[in-house]
Amino acid sequence: MKIKWFLIIAPALLSLALLQSYFWVPTYETQTKGNPDRVWKFIEASIGDAKILNPILNADTASGRIVGLVFDSLLDYDEELNRRGRLATDWTITEEAYLIINPDAQFPDGIQVTANAMKARISDAIENGSLPKLKELVTEITLLPKRKRTEEIAIPGADGKPISVEVKVQVPERLQFSLKRVDQNFFKLLEPIIGANYEKNVPIEKWVEVSPQEHQKNLRPQFAEFLPVFEHHPIILFHLRKGVHFHDGHEFDAGDVKFTYEALMNSKNLSPRTSNFEPIKTVEIVDSHTVRVVYKRLFSPAIDAWSIGILPEHLLNEQALQREMDKRGLSKQAKAEFGMRDSQFNRHPIGVGPFRFVKWQGDELIHLIRNDDYWEGAPEYKEFYYRIIPDAITQEVEFRTGAIDTYSPQPHQAVRYKKDDTYQPFSVLGFGYVYIGYNNRRPLFVDKRVRQALGMAINADEIIEYILYGEGEKITGPYPKSTQWYNHKVKQIPYDPKKAQRILAKLGWKKNAQGWLEKEGKIFEFNLITNNGNLQRKAIMTIAQNSWRKIGIKCNTQLFEWAVFLKDFVNSGQFDAVVLGWSMGMDPDLYQIWHSSQAGPQQLNFVGYNSPEVDQLIVQIRQEYDIATQRNLTHQLHSIIAEDQPYTFLYAPRSNLVLDKKIVTMEKDGSYSKIKKTKSGSVFFHFNRWRKLEYTPKF
Amino acid sequence: MWAYIIRNFLQRCVLLFIVSVMAHSIVHLAPGEPSEVDPSNPRMQPEDIKKIREAFHLNDPLYLQYYYWMRDLFTGELKSFKDSQPVLPKIWERFLNSLPLFICATLIVWTLAFPTGIHAAVRRGSAYDRGSTFIAYALISIPGFFLSYIMILWVVDTFGVPVIGMRTFGMENAHPFFQTMDRIWHLVIPSIMSALTGIAILSRYVRSQMLEVISQDYVRTARAKGLDEDTVIYHHALRNALLPFVTLFGYLLPSLIGGSVIFEYIFAWPGLGRLGYEAILSRDFPIILTINFIAAALTLAGTFLSDILYAVVDPRIRLE
Repeated sequence: MKIKWFLIIAPALLSLALLQSYFWVPTYETQTKGNPDRVWKFIEASIGDAKILNPILNADTASGRIVGLVFDSLLDYDEELNRRGRLATDWTITEEAYLIINPDAQFPDGIQVTANAMKARISDAIENGSLPKLKELVTEITLLPKRKRTEEIAIPGADGKPISVEVKVQVPERLQFSLKRVDQNFFKLLEPIIGANYEKNVPIEKWVEVSPQEHQKNLRPQFAEFLPVFEHHPIILFHLRKGVHFHDGHEFDAGDVKFTYEALMNSKNLSPRTSNFEPIKTVEIVDSHTVRVVYKRLFSPAIDAWSIGILPEHLLNEQALQREMDKRGLSKQAKAEFGMRDSQFNRHPIGVGPFRFVKWQGDELIHLIRNDDYWEGAPEYKEFYYRIIPDAITQEVEFRTGAIDTYSPQPHQAVRYKKDDTYQPFSVLGFGYVYIGYNNRRPLFVDKRVRQALGMAINADEIIEYILYGEGEKITGPYPKSTQWYNHKVKQIPYDPKKAQRILAKLGWKKNAQGWLEKEGKIFEFNLITNNGNLQRKAIMTIAQNSWRKIGIKCNTQLFEWAVFLKDFVNSGQFDAVVLGWSMGMDPDLYQIWHSSQAGPQQLNFVGYNSPEVDQLIVQIRQEYDIATQRNLTHQLHSIIAEDQPYTFLYAPRSNLVLDKKIVTMEKDGSYSKIKKTKSGSVFFHFNRWRKLEYTPKF
Repeated sequence: MWAYIIRNFLQRCVLLFIVSVMAHSIVHLAPGEPSEVDPSNPRMQPEDIKKIREAFHLNDPLYLQYYYWMRDLFTGELKSFKDSQPVLPKIWERFLNSLPLFICATLIVWTLAFPTGIHAAVRRGSAYDRGSTFIAYALISIPGFFLSYIMILWVVDTFGVPVIGMRTFGMENAHPFFQTMDRIWHLVIPSIMSALTGIAILSRYVRSQMLEVISQDYVRTARAKGLDEDTVIYHHALRNALLPFVTLFGYLLPSLIGGSVIFEYIFAWPGLGRLGYEAILSRDFPIILTINFIAAALTLAGTFLSDILYAVVDPRIRLE
């Protein structure tokens, strides 16, 4: 009998023991039951785990999020997308310009140029006010004597192997101008004195000597780069915040800034951000809290590169890495290859940011606690958890039970939250956009009217409504809509298939018996391709195909694996049209995507867009340091590209975010307010002032 | 007996070696590259890929790679491709996470399957028997992940409590009692879900075993002696019907590892199954191979154990 009862009681007891635990688990409403500290913790869910927690090495979103909390940068953007100082309290941008004294040139009045005469004439012009613009710009003029300089460079040899060549440069006398601000037109201002053709007959052959001699001829076109007649060197002087400490107590100073720059440029570290720092010539430590950065050339976006987190020198320099190697007892071979990438620092980062790193359990969580010594005041939240939940449905389930405070829902999930006032949903316009790019080299697409007509046939509203569930916005040009560079005055290309047909008819495209447009015996036919694996692009491809069919254009579509798509089609320029997207930065530089020099293989202007006017504007924008002027230029650039329609600009997707409704922003006076996204679309901008209440607030 | 054990043990060692060679070849010959050296990653430079390939020994012949793997495995120096962390501690850590889930699910299977199976056998042909058969087959045929999703949605919708993961986050400073209860609750749903198929299958076995035993002569003899039905069923019949299940204990061993990949994935349980699954996705060869090796070793040990157990409980069987 005992056995019978055992068989009945054992499962009953087991079930009871397990199921009773339900009564002790907090629901969303009773989160603080048995756990009052819950409100001091912020739990964020992520689909993917971080890869490497080092600001100069990371390249993925998850790592970027954590790095942003643990490290601080010299500067970043405020709510209005203006630059603001973080670890740098302020900075000044000045310029040093160099002018080579060309002994073969003559002043406009026919007198031969000499160094002293040049200096005297320019100084006089400034003194007597005949060049008023110069007077407020130039602070000092110095005459630099002749000097010699030798450079080792590598050039590609006949058999493909690089050859090392020595270049001797006899630098002639130069004038050095110290300018109050950067001015790309500085040398134009000097034209009344030096003449318009000053740089034409520079005896550059006399000054540059290549050994071995046989390469002299090959390198001749590059001589101007070794010794430019006009040189601009923008200079940023950063004043650093004093009394800021790393999480281990070590004080932050100028050495850390210089070290971060050197680590970025160290080829052993394989940093994905090296190219942003390439325009820098030198980083000098002026004193313990002042850094002077000299640039090689005019390149205004370069300042934004300093929004990178600053590394602690004392934990990652040669000696520190050596100590770590010895401690870990690595083999000889491992030691030889050991670099910053191999350091345990990347799994246990130490920065100066608002949160300190505690632990990282792979595929499960990253735990941070607040930095009570944070220079801007400690954050409200005591702890930060980054939870890795690889599945969108599971994320939603966890969010609804209150086990996570925020996550990024998919578009179809976001629709549910909009109808539900239990949560705070946000919809943020991102920095990316999706487009159909036409190969501008193909005869079919050469005429911009054809490209405009193709754009008119596609209904972007429909795409946004049915593919994105409304989570997108139409765009007219190449800049992110939330930046000041976007020109809101540019009109949208209308959805008007009839007009498209009329335009094409004017260009000689007539419908044939099968209903296809035909011109000179050829029907209007091309291939539209995109990469496999992106369902939205695939759907857009089908919609475009169908829209064009309606006006008589035959479009064949095909999907390719990403690698094949890039290698065989995009990089080699062997395509008619592609559906793709860009993710843009904050800066207004469009050189890589739209400049005609960037249309070669492997380059980003793969549609082969070529407009001299645009080229000139792009170069002007990247050399301009004044933001208002830059804005005018970008608006012009935007309207030209919108008119030319090298792409059909489809939409900028919105990204979504939901927050627990109990989370509010604390004000300085102790009251709280509803969380609002900033103008730039950042929800987390005031994250350090967020707090979770024990009850749901009413606004 | 001892001769049998030693001979059998040596045989199994040889078998394990063959299995490991085959697994190694299959994993390496299967299409796909470790994600670290994926040539379609636009961020990677060819030189970097070459360097990494060399560091992973991916350019060496297969037998050398096998040698390196075995050498590193037994010296404890084997490292994951993905994050360069030592493999064995990583597996051990994940194993400890999977263990409670396994124990709980096994307890549920074994405690629930017997009463249901026995009851069905005793009332053969009744509505209960037919009903439980139907439910058992339904549970066997409906995919576990589908049922799990339904279950999760239902529980969350009705009770509004978290069910995903090993515990609720943000409870670190709560009273230990609440923390323990929270952990138990998080065990409940995933272990029930992963136990369902087990209950269905095992209760079918129990039923058919019982039916077979009940029709034996000695049961009729027991009944003829005038013993009451409960004594006949639970004392005489059940004991004999239990014999084959003893061997099943041995087979539990391999399911310790990779027992519930699907459930660990759905419930975001940081266990061994998920480690293996993610290693396969990113072609993390050291992890895949080591888990596979341990699983093979446990399978061989399990069958060995059940052979011996059977001999121990059934005196009619002699191992030679």
